[in-house]
Amino acid sequence: MDDPQKTPFDQELAATLRRGRAVAVAGFADRVVTVVRAERRRRIVVRWGSALAGAAAVFVALLTVPATSEEALNRETFALVARDESAQLADLFGAADDLSLLAPVAERPAVVETFVASGF
Amino acid sequence: MSQEEPLLPDDEDDKRLMGLVAGGDDDALRLLVHRHHARLVGYLRGEVGSQATAEELAMEVFIRLHRAAARWRPEAKLTTYLIHIARNLVLNEWRRRGRKPTTALEFAAEPGDLSQGSARRVAELDEAFQRAILQLAPEQRTAILLVVQQELPYEEIAVIMDAPVSSVKTWIHRARARLRELLKDFYAQE
Repeated sequence: MDDPQKTPFDQELAATLRRGRAVAVAGFADRVVTVVRAERRRRIVVRWGSALAGAAAVFVALLTVPATSEEALNRETFALVARDESAQLADLFGAADDLSLLAPVAERPAVVETFVASGF
Repeated sequence: MSQEEPLLPDDEDDKRLMGLVAGGDDDALRLLVHRHHARLVGYLRGEVGSQATAEELAMEVFIRLHRAAARWRPEAKLTTYLIHIARNLVLNEWRRRGRKPTTALEFAAEPGDLSQGSARRVAELDEAFQRAILQLAPEQRTAILLVVQQELPYEEIAVIMDAPVSSVKTWIHRARARLRELLKDFYAQE
């Protein structure tokens, strides 16, 4: 290590810095312990919180799994159909069952018309 | 707050206490903090120029020490480990604030009879030196504080600063040269 006592400057530097070498703060250790205890409690709460959240998730899953029975699936299907907007529009115009609207428009050939007119 | 010499750290006792802290012994933690906090706050105050910030950072150092107690391995002295954590926190603090240590110095000498010439001179010297130290480059400031203020050997400073001993010596040499330059006017008035 350098000898800091060589010059007056070095002596002043060392004296000044060493005056601030140790700064005891009253009650500091108690403050640290208080903070550490609070952090420990917070960690326990977080640990228990996550455990409880996991248990709650399992509980909810147990309640909801039986509801996905056949009846529940039917309900979901009806709900999906009810949300089908194209079906709702067709219902509105009363055309849902009028399949003739969907039949292709085609003119009958002249020979067919002749047969029809002659009573065949 | 009062200035006092710290209790002499006992490395073996520090290791024993750290084992107890890892087991959740708050009295052991209290004893460790009582033993080491004064030097830690002194070092941090030299680094950041603020008593309040120094105490906040010292608090964070001990909280981190407590968290790491179970994983701590006594490869180095506990003081080295504490100052290493402290220095990293100082670097983070500067990054977070986007600036260097405060220029609002809080290094006024202890209240005394300033009518006495010697007391006034001590106060002026303290302020001039501390102002100059805060103008040093971070590595130079840390190195000069650790070698002159905390009286640590180069090897220990190198561990704390994650740098070779040669770099530590260079920083200290440059710090002294820079301080002489910064304080030349002050000395010229004498």
